[in-house]
Amino acid sequence: MHNPTPPVLRPDPKQTLFSIRGLTYRYADGTPALSGIDLDIAPGDRIALVGHNGSGKTTLVRQLCGLLSPSAGSVSYKGKPLAGAHLDAARLEIGLLFQDPDDQLFGHTLMDDAAFGPRNQGLARVSAEEAARVALEQVGLAGMAYKPPHNLSFGQKKRAALAGLLAMGPETLILDEPTTNLDPRQEEIFLNLLRDFPGTLVCISHDLIFLYELCDRAVVIDRGRIHHDYTLKALVSHRASLREHGLDFSFRLAPETADESGKTPVRVPAATPPGKTAPAPALVSLRDFRFRYPDGTPALAGVDLDIVSGERVALVGENGAGKTTLLSCLLGLRRGEGTFHFAGEPVTKQRHRTLWQRVGMVFQDCADQLFCPSVGEEIAFGLRRLGCTTDETRQRVRETLVRVRLSGFEDRVPLHLSGGERKRLALACVLAMSPDLLILDEPTAGLDPEGEELLLQIIGDLDTTLLLVSHDMFFVGELTRRTLVMHQGVIGCDVPTREFMRDEALGSLNGLAFTYRRDCSGAIRELQHEHEHSHPHRHRHEHPHRHGGMVHTHAHEHVHEHPHRFVHRHDDGDKAHDHAPLRYPEHPHPGHDSEPHDHEHP
Amino acid sequence: MADVVHIVLPAWQFAAILAGPLILLAAAAAGLRFLVRRRSVSGEDRDWSVPPLADSAGATLFHRWDVRCKITALLAYSFLVAALEHVTPTLAALAVSLLALVLARSSLVRALTRLLAVTGFLVMFLVVMPLSAPALPGDTVLVIDGVDWLGFNLRGLYKALAIACKGVAIALLMEPLLTTAPLPVTLHGLTRLGIPDMVGQMVLLSHRYLHVFRHEAERMAAGMRVRGFRKRTDIETLRAVANFLGMLFVRSFERTERVFDAMRARGYRGRFPAPEEPRMQAKDLLLTGAWLALGITLILWDRFFQQGSG
Repeated sequence: MHNPTPPVLRPDPKQTLFSIRGLTYRYADGTPALSGIDLDIAPGDRIALVGHNGSGKTTLVRQLCGLLSPSAGSVSYKGKPLAGAHLDAARLEIGLLFQDPDDQLFGHTLMDDAAFGPRNQGLARVSAEEAARVALEQVGLAGMAYKPPHNLSFGQKKRAALAGLLAMGPETLILDEPTTNLDPRQEEIFLNLLRDFPGTLVCISHDLIFLYELCDRAVVIDRGRIHHDYTLKALVSHRASLREHGLDFSFRLAPETADESGKTPVRVPAATPPGKTAPAPALVSLRDFRFRYPDGTPALAGVDLDIVSGERVALVGENGAGKTTLLSCLLGLRRGEGTFHFAGEPVTKQRHRTLWQRVGMVFQDCADQLFCPSVGEEIAFGLRRLGCTTDETRQRVRETLVRVRLSGFEDRVPLHLSGGERKRLALACVLAMSPDLLILDEPTAGLDPEGEELLLQIIGDLDTTLLLVSHDMFFVGELTRRTLVMHQGVIGCDVPTREFMRDEALGSLNGLAFTYRRDCSGAIRELQHEHEHSHPHRHRHEHPHRHGGMVHTHAHEHVHEHPHRFVHRHDDGDKAHDHAPLRYPEHPHPGHDSEPHDHEHP
Repeated sequence: MADVVHIVLPAWQFAAILAGPLILLAAAAAGLRFLVRRRSVSGEDRDWSVPPLADSAGATLFHRWDVRCKITALLAYSFLVAALEHVTPTLAALAVSLLALVLARSSLVRALTRLLAVTGFLVMFLVVMPLSAPALPGDTVLVIDGVDWLGFNLRGLYKALAIACKGVAIALLMEPLLTTAPLPVTLHGLTRLGIPDMVGQMVLLSHRYLHVFRHEAERMAAGMRVRGFRKRTDIETLRAVANFLGMLFVRSFERTERVFDAMRARGYRGRFPAPEEPRMQAKDLLLTGAWLALGITLILWDRFFQQGSG
């Protein structure tokens, strides 16, 4: 059960910036997306909009800038309904950052794009370009002002999209998944920019650690309705609420304890003790492996790599380090120069064409590998190419769906699945083919915490050789024993994962520092800290009890001393501390009913 | 009236005559490709903090030319070149295009890349036309000894050469036309010349999103390849390709809607902000007149001072 009486924050109606009353929205096919939304947003509010994938968060923020019109109810901005000329004016004060930066970068160059908004605000060309230049400077892209957007990396595109909004000097910024697929360095740049933003902020994200640093109010959306309007601190400290809405990221807070105690993360299979057996032959072996794009850009500059069968390896590095190119080569999509052995055999031109039978990969954007009309056909696609019989295909499809917790989804349309389900389907497509080497490219991108936890369990249960490419240091720590750090086309460091996680200098050097995440996690852990204590406390309850010869029942209150589990902070560490005789809600006291006891009768 | 001249050659000589130019062309294409590769490898990343045409290379006659005059003059000149019929004037047009490339300080790599795109099409003309041109009185036809039905008409070859030269001349001229002003400025110039504003906007957005859709298609194709998909001539391939195209269409359509939303969210109300308003000067008009006069001179030369295989 989650807290039924959450603290509701409502701004003073006179100061409301956005006022939403009875908002209902249905898609063109009649599917309800939002219903009965009442929400007030005051100037300067910093709101985290959270909820399951598909709960209606993006639809709600599109209402806030008038991109969608309510089916019923109203949306007001500065006291007037968002329509007509007021809507046109409001759009120039509200900045909406889309999930995919390519949707937003429609300019010929970054300068054209960033100046687009200011020009629409009525600024002359020179003033608009000046505003654009300042904004590009803010996001660290002034040196690329005249570069076409398609020549940028994903992180740069994301920052350029934000520059397009900042150039307009918006009063309100609405951000839809701002940090998805960003490496920690880019994420930190984003965080610093947004932390300093003086206006109103509405941020959709599944990353509660990022939100914790940025927002102070949390609005939880569940199946198109607002379920809670909390302070963010109240939300993150209340695990029951988090779990109910698929937001419980508390599993991410555990590893520090494991690390401190020197334990190996539980999701990694036990390693063979060294020296007991002969070293296994490498499944993948690369020596001085190089790759250059047709336009001459060097992507891999002499990679040396060995992955032993059964190993779980993480490949990390900043955006543009060459990770994706290396994966393409391992998959047989690209041919590099140098020595490449797979399972002890040199990968010749002929063998290159059949690598797909032994290497499987789940793409960062799983939509890139889903194209069939049904889930069953999607999984069977690869199996048919492997030459499996119809019966075998059917059997493998069924088994794989069970493994990825998608039983009964055979006839569903992949396009209509939620983000988490699609990711698991993409994994199923690969697992069904029983690859010797499984490659996962940013498996957690865009998933809600519930989806992440489920994926973590599924991957943790696999016994195949794993190469994990991720910026998510928690997943790296949980799923792998060995970490390869890639930088400028070479593997600069090959260390045990635990050592990598401890070495801050190593992380910082490669743009993988996650200091603020660790600090936030610590703060949230404090908030969520729950343990058992025995101390006197007040207790109100009703049970039959005896006063001398009289037995009666009524609600009464008295002091008890017995152990309880509750959220409780120890700001002074292990020092002795007092517990005030607080009052706690009703809870059972076995045997207490029959005890004679006394209390005052008013 | 002169008869058709048939020159009978042994098969090996005929093959040598036919293969010689083809080998030369193939070698030229390979050379172009090599040059393109080498130039793009060696080049360092340029300074993107300044406008692309703001450096010294941008200060040429073509860069300073008013974009409306430039479009009018070069397009009209291109039509005049397309109307040429004889080889010699087309070679002169080709020389003019090369001179324009030099004057505009255009990128050799880009010009060669543009040329590569049309090479295959032009080679087809060079192969097919001599073999398919009907023999008219006065034509010279090379025939293989014993294979009378297959003739190599030299008039067809001249025709094909003229077409190839015109094609190359016009393709090369597109370089000074399109790269001496930013695309939005060129499209704005077209709008000012009467092309509907919407067309210009669509071209501008297409130019931006073609890259995005290409990347999307490449990623999806990679997703299919890693699960064993190879193109074959069977129903399975047909089904897979249909699914691929369908999904690509759905994704493109969805993106189009999102892009439009993103534009509206930043204040778009049906018009892109116009780039800097161009100012036409007397020298722009003078240059336009000179360029058109050059085109007309080529036409007059072609029509009145050329004879023979035209």
